[in-house]
Amino acid sequence: MNYVERDATRSLAEALPHSRGRVTDIAARGEPYTWALGGALALGIVMIVGFLALVLYNGATTFIPKPITVVTLADGAVVAGEPFRSESYRPGPAVLEKLAPEVRARIAANDGYAGRTLYRIGNYDIYNEDFRWVSDFEVARMGHPTDLIYAERLEWGPFIGRLKSVHVGGAVREAASMPETELARLHGEARARWQRLRGIERSEIGAVNHQIERERLAVRKAEIAHGAGSAEARQRAAEAAIRIAELQREYDRLAAEARRLREQDRAVRVTLAAIGGEEKELALSALVRFYPANAISLTGKAGIYLSRWWEFLSDEPREANTEGGVMPAIFGTFAMTLLLVIAVTPFGVITALYLREYARQGRLVSVIRISVNNLAGVPSIVYGVFGLGFFAYVLGGSIDQLFYPERLPNPTFGTGGLLWASLTLALLTVPVVIVATEEALAAVPRSMREGSLACGASKWQTIRNIVLPRAMPGIMTGIILAMARGAGEVAPLMLVGVVKLAPELPVDGFFPFVHLERSFMHLGFHIFDVGFQSRNSEAGKPMVFVTTVLLVGLIFLMNISAIAIRNRLKRKFAGSQF
Amino acid sequence: MAAIAEMQSSAPATEYHAKHGDQGPVIEVRDFNLWYGAAQALHDITMTIERGLVTALIGPSGCGKSTLLRCLNRMNDLVDGLTIRGTMLLEGQDIYDARTDVIALRKRMGMVFQKPNPFPMSIYENVIYPLRVDGIRDRRILDETVERALRGAALWEEAKDRLNESALGLSGGQQQRLCIARAIAGDPEVLLMDEPCSALDPIATLKIEELIDKLSGQYTIIIVTHNMQQAARVSDNTAFMYLGRLIEYGETEQVFTTPRLQRTLDYVTGRFG
Repeated sequence: MNYVERDATRSLAEALPHSRGRVTDIAARGEPYTWALGGALALGIVMIVGFLALVLYNGATTFIPKPITVVTLADGAVVAGEPFRSESYRPGPAVLEKLAPEVRARIAANDGYAGRTLYRIGNYDIYNEDFRWVSDFEVARMGHPTDLIYAERLEWGPFIGRLKSVHVGGAVREAASMPETELARLHGEARARWQRLRGIERSEIGAVNHQIERERLAVRKAEIAHGAGSAEARQRAAEAAIRIAELQREYDRLAAEARRLREQDRAVRVTLAAIGGEEKELALSALVRFYPANAISLTGKAGIYLSRWWEFLSDEPREANTEGGVMPAIFGTFAMTLLLVIAVTPFGVITALYLREYARQGRLVSVIRISVNNLAGVPSIVYGVFGLGFFAYVLGGSIDQLFYPERLPNPTFGTGGLLWASLTLALLTVPVVIVATEEALAAVPRSMREGSLACGASKWQTIRNIVLPRAMPGIMTGIILAMARGAGEVAPLMLVGVVKLAPELPVDGFFPFVHLERSFMHLGFHIFDVGFQSRNSEAGKPMVFVTTVLLVGLIFLMNISAIAIRNRLKRKFAGSQF
Repeated sequence: MAAIAEMQSSAPATEYHAKHGDQGPVIEVRDFNLWYGAAQALHDITMTIERGLVTALIGPSGCGKSTLLRCLNRMNDLVDGLTIRGTMLLEGQDIYDARTDVIALRKRMGMVFQKPNPFPMSIYENVIYPLRVDGIRDRRILDETVERALRGAALWEEAKDRLNESALGLSGGQQQRLCIARAIAGDPEVLLMDEPCSALDPIATLKIEELIDKLSGQYTIIIVTHNMQQAARVSDNTAFMYLGRLIEYGETEQVFTTPRLQRTLDYVTGRFG
């Protein structure tokens, strides 16, 4: 007995090292796969975080006021500007030839490379360029004089130079002798006056024009309804003439008020001097803000930073979108996404309900399902073309003929607009909602449906009371995905209603208050426009980053709220055993 | 063809010795056959369900007892490829007649399933669901129904203070009693129970059995069960099914003590199945 046991132990011990030593197949062991999967995940996360960090860093630092460097070149010229970025480059032979021998030797010692810095020199109206490269070997002297100002103007981009004098009424005062607070007060007054002037020109005169246009359209409508020259049309024209005369008086009053303000505005002027001595005289109100870039305190910097953000978020763009704000684009993106969700949700959910609950599962339904999934792979620009051709021209054209004949040949709905853009994107994203909803419906347990049917509920009552509430979190997931896809889409929008600059928001104070036929601005298109379509893409680059931050932030915000709603729905079903 | 007919005719005839109720049968099944696609699941079932009594359907898995139960309120309509031949009458009305309103039919039969399936709503909403789908909104009627149904399902004392809480917070046994309350809220004539205790622990099972005892007489109950003791304890009549055929249908006491067929005896004593 004892012997046998010992024998057995020994044979086991003999067997073990053998089995331990054997190299098991790599596919049979889990670790390499775990590492590969973890590595892939890490790579994905690094890319996403890196991208977001790049965008956030550039977006957040764009509005920080930067110091101005004054560079005196070897040939005596003076350049003043914000250092924008530096790089090393290889100067061409023609440039090298003109250089002093010791400079040439230094460059040669550096493998033919030299450093250079890009300065934002502003003063586009004087220099005809916003940026200038300065090679390191050209530099004779560098300084940061404290009396230089950086002024953002309504036109021609920033001005970098000195504030020379201020003209109030007829009197001319040297800027140097003027207390800072008085200058700030004058500037505040001038800006307020300018805002008021713009208010009159844009809103009040705009309202009068709108009413005159409405009277004209009413006459045109009567002529179409009763025939030109008929009694009704003549009567309507007479009524309109009285109204228009009234409105014209109102217009004249406003125009006079505007003229008075503009004269006051013109009376307060400043003279700016560029670093090379060129002078520029302009109205004080044309300066959006100005600050002594090299003498500004930290709190002053913070104030400038915040006021730039505020302007960006709340104002309209100017200077071909490279400056000012993006409020219309934020509004347009938000409104379009909201309309997209309103359109895509019932459409997608109803389709999925029919496919999953009512249609007889067979070959036809399979074909439809595959087709729906394939729709998600159609290039988005194709949807844009379809939206323009079908929604805008066919549908919109018919609506115009039926309801707005008096406005023709000017299209109302018969051109790209907010409604058509939203519907086009709804079409683009509907497969996502259909697929997600079908999955969610399929996941509702059979026992729930049977329980409801056994209580004597009809099929529709079962779907409405039991199936849809249960499937809601899954449906919400589909809507979130659709929303994220739709809000970031640009290509089809260029065809169906997004424009570079839309002065009128789709919502205003005139009946019917919401104007879905209007073209609108969109953050995604804004990025494309500022980055690649503006006269100086270098100047637009910071704005591209800021706008991207804003677009990503907006989508993030909308997703977070949708996820919050979904989680609330999910909690309602928590503790379910099925 | 002839061979098949011979085989069918050679199948042993059902032994009938079921107890008759005072009020006559409520359901009559005549020569009922059912096919899932090509496979026949029920063969020539003929039986009557007596009003006010508890009828147990027993038999090994796959013998067709659940299928038979689900045919009674046409829950099998949801299954594709189903073929039916034969008659089923509820108080003389043909259940499978094309003119029969399935929804009205189901309202006359409450059903309790194998696993408790309360809806993700409050206890109150769960109980009144059959009334809600009828469009009843009168708060007084709804309140009365909730109390009556919950008392009927012996859940009132436990649930009366938490009527507006989610039904999913109840224990498994309580959930099943809630499902019974929901099944009787619409005041049906027949209560169909498809293995109502198979997902429950012994104490919860005992409570459900007591409840069935209490409800018998008031409702006609048909219960499918795998638990022989349960069938013996709660039912008046027992139907033993095997391979889609009704083998023996008789008074419970006799089926379990002195069945007329050897096969029934083998099954109820646990020798096969």
